[in-house]
Amino acid sequence: MKKAQQEAYKRDYAQAKKEGKPFFPYAIYKDHIVAILCFAWIIGMAIWHRVEVGRPIYEATTDFVPRPEWYFFFLFELLKIFKGDNFLTPVIMATFIVPNVLMALLILTPFIDRSPERRIEKRPFAMAVAIIIFTSLAWLTYKGATSEAPAAGALKFTPSDANTEIAARVIKQEPCLSCHVIGASGGSLGPNLNNIGSQGKGVQWHIDHLKNPSSKVPGSAMPAFAALSEPDLKALATVMDGMGTKYKVD
Amino acid sequence: MTTKDIGPKGPAGQVADGAVDYVEDRTGAKTGISWFLFRNIPKETSWFQTLGFAAMAVFGLQAITGIVLAMYYKPAPDAAYASIQHITHDVTWGWLVRGMHKWGATAMIVLVFLHMGRVFLFGSYKYPRELTWVTGAILLILTMFMGLTGYLLVWDEKAYWATVVAMNITASAPILGPFVADIMRAGSDMNPDTLSRFYSIHMLVIPGGIATFIGLHMFLVAKLGISEPPWSKRSYKARYEAEAAARAAARARAPQGRREVTAAPAAPVANAEVER
Repeated sequence: MKKAQQEAYKRDYAQAKKEGKPFFPYAIYKDHIVAILCFAWIIGMAIWHRVEVGRPIYEATTDFVPRPEWYFFFLFELLKIFKGDNFLTPVIMATFIVPNVLMALLILTPFIDRSPERRIEKRPFAMAVAIIIFTSLAWLTYKGATSEAPAAGALKFTPSDANTEIAARVIKQEPCLSCHVIGASGGSLGPNLNNIGSQGKGVQWHIDHLKNPSSKVPGSAMPAFAALSEPDLKALATVMDGMGTKYKVD
Repeated sequence: MTTKDIGPKGPAGQVADGAVDYVEDRTGAKTGISWFLFRNIPKETSWFQTLGFAAMAVFGLQAITGIVLAMYYKPAPDAAYASIQHITHDVTWGWLVRGMHKWGATAMIVLVFLHMGRVFLFGSYKYPRELTWVTGAILLILTMFMGLTGYLLVWDEKAYWATVVAMNITASAPILGPFVADIMRAGSDMNPDTLSRFYSIHMLVIPGGIATFIGLHMFLVAKLGISEPPWSKRSYKARYEAEAAARAAARARAPQGRREVTAAPAAPVANAEVER
């Protein structure tokens, strides 16, 4: 905005203020009506939707989706889009680039849009940005809200050997299926593992990845499973390395 | 306003006046409060301009319900879950206070986003209110962090694993990411100290930040004034009058016999005048 336009705005606003009315009571009464309505909504929701106590942490269950509060659903849904399945969808897009670009744009908005025009019908670009961001956030939130928990059940590997027995036990005891599809069911936060062996990463890669996922897949949001015993890790990694090639899940 | 002299004030009135004068003399509080309350704002303000105040009011409610919850909550991994059960099932109206804190968080996020949308659509972030927007954007981010840290405190399965994922997301950020995640988790992994650290961040660090930035934000809003809706009757009238004056000036400068026609489409000369 040019100096003259800034001064014109100040003059215009001073005039608006001069012709205006005092903050108390003319603005503050409206504020209080809306605030009281919000309080009433909060108390009403607290009574209508009684809070529940979720299941404790250390029970070996897999039939849940690790899900944040609803206003972070869009971030978790981004993880489902950018899983690192191919070079076009690196995880780092979901975990770092998209959220930080949004945050930077948010803070810098007044320095990017410096035109003096305030009427939204005369700001088509701003209107388009607002609509695109709002609809994509709403859509991702809706997708996050409607994602379903995987069914818990024992996995049957074919062919079955000592490694698959250990793998089936570990997969059941750790929350793998909350994020990954193995067999018919599982979450969609992480990649589908049914065909992961065809990537031919090798057993040692899978062991290192389980111990510290982000060392192998930059930007990975997967928890580290370093607490697993060495034989368990080795068996699980062997099965993972053979998924889709040597092993299948019925 | 006419006042009627009804004689000297009684002793109580005199003491009250004296007290007000004493404080005013030493702090200027009376002048400051009168300035804040009775400053003029534009005549036509929209109902959408109440959302910021509502968000602040809900933050106040969150502080009160949060204080009550903190009286019963135990931020230790082996006690947190039981204390949540205690609050929900045993404490008188504990379910209501916990429910209000939970739904209050949702309300605050919604209000903060709606308020941001209102400011964006009204173009209120433009000169001279750019820095008001920046403080508001920081408040929005702080509010999101409030939700992130508070969510873990219920210490159940969903919240725990969601926080593991969220912390891994934080750690994956280049340069500062791993440090921030380690500071928040109190280590390179979730551990027994993580819960009390989240508790401290949720109860002390972020509320302090939010209170500070609300103060700054409010100061700027009061100092710069509430923006006028861009479609207010007054601004349309002012714009129309400015354009009419520019046309009149153009007409006055035009040579004899070449008067401007005011109706659109205007001649290029008139247009240039209007824009200037």
